[in-house]
Amino acid sequence: MPVLNRNKSNEENAADIIRDAGGQIVGRTRLQKMAYLLEITDLGCGFSFEYRHYGPFSEELANAIEEAKFWDLITEEEHIALWGGSYSIYKAAASAPLSGIDPARIELIQNAKDANPIELELAATAAFLKVVENDPDPWSETKRRKPEKAEKFLANAQVLYEKLRSVKTPKPLPAI
Amino acid sequence: MSVVKRHLQNIHAWDETMAHTALAAALVHDLGHGPYSHAFEEVGKRLNLGMDKHEKVSARLIRDEEVSEALKPLGSGFASDVANIFEDKMSPSIYTAVVSSQFDADRLDYMQRDRLMTGTYHGVIDFEWLLSNLKVGKVPHGADEEEAGENDTFVLGPKALHAAEAYLLGLYQLYATVYLHKATRGAEKLFTELLVKVVELARNDSIEETGLSQDHPLIRFAKEPNNLKCLLALDDSVISGALSMMAGVKNPLISNFSMRLRDRKLFKCVDIREKLDQKNGFAESEDSEICGHCTGVAKKVIAVRDEQQRIDALAVACKEVEKRLIEWEKENKQELPQILLDKKERSIYKSSEESKGPLEQIMIRLGTGNDNPVDVASVSQIIKAIDPFQVSRVYFDRGDQKTKAVVDQIIEEEAKRCRC
Repeated sequence: MPVLNRNKSNEENAADIIRDAGGQIVGRTRLQKMAYLLEITDLGCGFSFEYRHYGPFSEELANAIEEAKFWDLITEEEHIALWGGSYSIYKAAASAPLSGIDPARIELIQNAKDANPIELELAATAAFLKVVENDPDPWSETKRRKPEKAEKFLANAQVLYEKLRSVKTPKPLPAI
Repeated sequence: MSVVKRHLQNIHAWDETMAHTALAAALVHDLGHGPYSHAFEEVGKRLNLGMDKHEKVSARLIRDEEVSEALKPLGSGFASDVANIFEDKMSPSIYTAVVSSQFDADRLDYMQRDRLMTGTYHGVIDFEWLLSNLKVGKVPHGADEEEAGENDTFVLGPKALHAAEAYLLGLYQLYATVYLHKATRGAEKLFTELLVKVVELARNDSIEETGLSQDHPLIRFAKEPNNLKCLLALDDSVISGALSMMAGVKNPLISNFSMRLRDRKLFKCVDIREKLDQKNGFAESEDSEICGHCTGVAKKVIAVRDEQQRIDALAVACKEVEKRLIEWEKENKQELPQILLDKKERSIYKSSEESKGPLEQIMIRLGTGNDNPVDVASVSQIIKAIDPFQVSRVYFDRGDQKTKAVVDQIIEEEAKRCRC
C-alpha cells in the first residue's frame, strides 16, 4: 500500500491526521475509523489494522497517539459523555494543514470528522469486511456482528458510506 | 453462567445455545498459546507471523482442527460461533462477558491458579463471596460521545464492595509481583531474542548455525509458521530440550542466550524508573511551595499537584533514558545485544481499545433496590488512588562493566536534568 510519508515517525503521522482534520478530532472511534479509511484509499501512512469489537482497529495508531501526546505533538482531553462513558478530544500542536496535501485526504477526513461515530464505525466495519475478509454481503455481516448498533444506525451508515465513496480518492472505496 | 441463567430465565430471555457457545469459548479460548505463551506472541509480532495473538491460533484450531469435530454434535456452525466470540466478531452480551470482561471466568480462574503455582500470598480473592453477590444489570454503552444503547453486564451487590476492591487490587499486585516480575520478564526477553534469531537463520538457509536439525519442530515451524501442525508440535518442553542443542554453537546470540536460559544465568536488571525516583529526590524538593503559612487544605492541594508533577517528570525521564540507551546501542552495535529494554504498563482495569464506559469497568450497586450501578473505582478510595503500574527496565550482562557504566551515567544525567 503506498504511503504518505515513510520518513516520518508513527507519532508524527498520527499527529498529521489530527492536524489535517483542522486541528481537532473528537473521539477515539472517529480517529481510528478515519485512519482506516485513509489506509484503504491510499491516503494513509502505513498503519496496519485488524478486526476488533469496534471494527477496524490499529494498535500501531493507538500507540502512536500515546507517543504523540508524550512528545507534545498533540494533546488529549477526556470528557464524560451523557451516556456515562468517557471520550477524548485530540488537538494537534501544529496548526493549519500544510500545502501539498492531497485535497482528497482533507475531504475524506472532514467527512469522517463530521460523522456520527457509530455510523462511521459501521461504515468502516463494512469496508473492512469487503476489503479484508472479502465478504460478499458486508452490510448483512455488519448487522450480524453489531445487531443493536445496526438497528438504529445502519441506514445512516450506508448513506455515510456513499458520501465517503464519492470523494475522489487515489484508490476508490469499494462498492458495497 | 448459572448467575446469567437465573437472571434471564426470570425475564424469559435465556438462550441455551448462546450459553453453550460462551461456555465452550471460555474453555477453549487459550488453546492457541504457543510455548512460553505471551513471549512467543512477541516473536510473532517481531517477525510479522500469523501467531502474534494466541486468539488467532485458537480460532483456527477450533474451526479447522480436531476441536471442530468435537464440537460438531452441538450443532453445525457451533465451532465457528465459538471462535467468533474471541475474535470479537460477536456483539458484546452477558454471555460474552463470561469469556471476556473485567470480571470474566478466565481472570477469576488464573488469579487463583497462578497464586497456587507460584506460591505467592498476593492476589487472594473471596471467590465464593464475589459469586454469591453477582447479579446481572443493564448499563449504557456507546462510541465516543454517542450512546448506542444498553447492554446486560455483571453487577456486584452492595455487600461485595470490599471483595471487589480485593479482586482489583489482587490482580494489580499479581501483575507487579508475578506476571511483570523482573526475572520473569528478563527470561522472556532472552527467549524472544533467541527465537527471533532461530527463525531468521532458518528462513535464511542458515540452519546449521542454530545447532538444530532440519526436522526439529522449531525449524519446521520457522519454515512454515502458518502451518498449524508445525505450531502444534511446539510446546515448553520442546524449547527447553532445544536449549542444550543450541548452547555452544557458532552463532554468538544462539549460543549465549540458550545457555543463559538453560543455566538460569539471566541478564542483570536495572529498574530505570526506580533508580530515577531514588536519585531525583523530587518528593523532598526544597523548592516545594509548602510553607508554615499554608492551611491544611492548601498543603494537600500542593502535595497532590507535586505528586502528579513528580510522576510526569519521572515518565519523561524514563523515556529519555530509554531513548538514549537505544541510540547508544545503535552506535555501539556488537554481535550480541548489549541491552534489552522492557516497557509495560498495567492499569487497575485491563485497558480498553476505544470505548471507556461501564462495560469496561466493574460495576456495583450501592443500594439494595434497583438503583443504577456505578463503577467500583468511583466509590472506592483505595481503587481510585491506584496509579498504573509502570515498568521501565534495562537488562544487560552482569559482567559487562562498560554497559553498566553507560546505564548508570545516563540515568544519573537524566535524574540531574529532572531536578533542574
